[in-house]
Amino acid sequence: MKKQEKVDKTIVVPGDLLSEDAAKAAEGTYVENGKVYSLIYGLADEREKVRVIPLSGKYLPATGDVVVGMVSDISFSNWKVDINSPYEALMHISEYPRRIESSEMAKIMGVGDLAIFKVVDVDPSMKIELAPREGQLRVLRSGRVVEVSYTKVPRVIGRAGSMISLLKSKLDVNIFVGKNGRIWINGKVEDEDLAVKVIKRIEQEAHTSGLTDRITKLLEEEKHGVHEKR
Amino acid sequence: MNDVIAEIKRDYIYELAKRSERADGRALDEYRPIQVEVGLIGKAEGSARVKIGNTQVLVGVKVQPGEPFPDAPDTGVIITNVELVPLASPSFEPGPPDENAIELARVVDRGVRESGAIDLSQLTLPDGKVWLIFIDVHVLDHDGNLMDAAALGALAALVNAKKPCERYGYGPDAPLPIKESPVAVTAVDLDGEIMLDPSLDEETIASSKLTVISGLQGALAGMQKSGTGTLSVEEIARIVKLASSKAMQIRDDLFGGSTDG
Amino acid sequence: MEFMKNGKRIDNRLPNELRPIKFEVGALERADGSCYVEHGGNKIMAAVYGPRAVHPRHLQQANRAIIRYRYNMASFSVEERRRPGPDRRSIEISKVSREAIDPVIIKEFYPRSTIDIFVEILQADAGTRSAGINAASVALADAGVPMRGLISSCAVGKVDDTVVLDLVKEEDNYGQADMPVAMDVRTGEVTLLQMDGHLTLDEFEQALELGKIGCASIAKMQREALIQKYRGEEDE
Repeated sequence: MKKQEKVDKTIVVPGDLLSEDAAKAAEGTYVENGKVYSLIYGLADEREKVRVIPLSGKYLPATGDVVVGMVSDISFSNWKVDINSPYEALMHISEYPRRIESSEMAKIMGVGDLAIFKVVDVDPSMKIELAPREGQLRVLRSGRVVEVSYTKVPRVIGRAGSMISLLKSKLDVNIFVGKNGRIWINGKVEDEDLAVKVIKRIEQEAHTSGLTDRITKLLEEEKHGVHEKR
Repeated sequence: MNDVIAEIKRDYIYELAKRSERADGRALDEYRPIQVEVGLIGKAEGSARVKIGNTQVLVGVKVQPGEPFPDAPDTGVIITNVELVPLASPSFEPGPPDENAIELARVVDRGVRESGAIDLSQLTLPDGKVWLIFIDVHVLDHDGNLMDAAALGALAALVNAKKPCERYGYGPDAPLPIKESPVAVTAVDLDGEIMLDPSLDEETIASSKLTVISGLQGALAGMQKSGTGTLSVEEIARIVKLASSKAMQIRDDLFGGSTDG
Repeated sequence: MEFMKNGKRIDNRLPNELRPIKFEVGALERADGSCYVEHGGNKIMAAVYGPRAVHPRHLQQANRAIIRYRYNMASFSVEERRRPGPDRRSIEISKVSREAIDPVIIKEFYPRSTIDIFVEILQADAGTRSAGINAASVALADAGVPMRGLISSCAVGKVDDTVVLDLVKEEDNYGQADMPVAMDVRTGEVTLLQMDGHLTLDEFEQALELGKIGCASIAKMQREALIQKYRGEEDE
């Protein structure tokens, strides 16, 4: 076992006691009789507060999230969008940047098309409304999409975007990471392939430390390999 | 269920096919790793768990004495059933077998029956009863190409099975009279490129599939085209040839070319 | 039938001893969470899908998730081939198992959705409902479902006037009593209790106490199996 691949946080399961101090309770925990327990299977992260970072689970949208969605159906005035969540989201025809007729909807964005959306409203019963991101609808017509668990998105992005910057600096690709775990990659075929491989690796090893170093190394080796083959 | 597949994923798989490549890096005629494990279920007379990649099926064979069909008093009986239990896929629902489960069961059954895998005439019992052979396929994880996994599981479980003679007072237990070794090979056609052992994505995208079941000498024992797409006569001929030789290879790898003992 | 000899049971166990148990977390690819368990001769696969959309829609609850639990026996799981599909027994077991697990799940996080739990008995050897609940509980955790704790379950019973833990088939079929229990071990709250046979009140108290001890051992194994899933990957 390589030392750097050690899990840097404690793995906990639902019901594990995390703290005797109720004031320390944060996400992924609950308080009972003044004590803090884990609500989920995940990694306990104790600082001023104690929270549990999930290792799995379904994405729940929040207002402001930017996601990669896929049109699953079109009704008279709404696009129904699968956002990799238990809940289907809607984008109303009026959210489209210009005025269009209902009959034009399928041409603009048809069933099976992917696009980048912003979550503009989530009501208490989880009815979700979407709008185009930054007022411009971007339908993703080329490139590839990979899905990772939404819980791994922070690792794919890295601290202050470091992992994504690393990928973009080593590969000639465009990468967009949706909060819902859908990642769009667009570039040369070899670079796309490598990006997919690297992202899958990040997903697998998201709970280990020293990940950035290992990914840097992987990229160096693979890039080298790619050039040698030619 | 919603089985919409993203357009760019579809495009990507077609693009790869044009270059004779596949998303998981396999060659067009290459199977995912096949694993066969027999005898897991002690309560069944024969059993096999087959994994093809992440696809996983468990087959149990039950052998019991019973009444023959009136029109065939000297012939054993084979009954094949497939359960697409909802544990195996988000698109499977609880309830009695639907058309897909029944199609699967009938294709597996035809492969076993028509190839003569079991000599049914050797299944008679002295008291006028015959052995009833129940082949139950329990699908655990559906990641594409259930047909080949189910057929392979049925064969492996039959080879693994014993007639429980002792339990019913018919003398010592004995293996089933296995005479043939039918292996199913399924192909899809994507823009003229023929791919064996389709993954779930490939299977979802392809408009039709062809399963070819062949025996030890390469002779055909059963076929099934499914899906609404069409195949040309030339494509079918290519698939049949490819499938028959692939079946030999799979059989050799797994059973050492023989099913005796 | 004689069940106890020199303080040992027909399979050589002590009265308070569990059969060998092995959990494998994440045994399936497609499911959101899964767990395979071998418990004595029982071989059971549990899978969780969800939270996901509810079909048919009229089952939706506006402010919480619904929980569905399907216990199903493979036709080859028992000595005599069983006809596929639910029977009265499996429908009852599905109900009580769902009710055993439901209390710890935080359903309010997921309005209008369902969490589906599927338990397939691949080989049955007494105590399938308990072993199924244990696997289902681990599969729920594996799926990332928020819960106040894991539910652990085992059967206790009576053979030859002795209270015993985790019955085997013969003890279950021909013994004097069978009592499956399930609980959240941390709080001691009982979520499933069934009994059939004959127990004095004293024996019942003893049996419940033994059940608690059994569940506590199982809870440790469930926890260890979940932790092992990520330790395992670390070794690669």
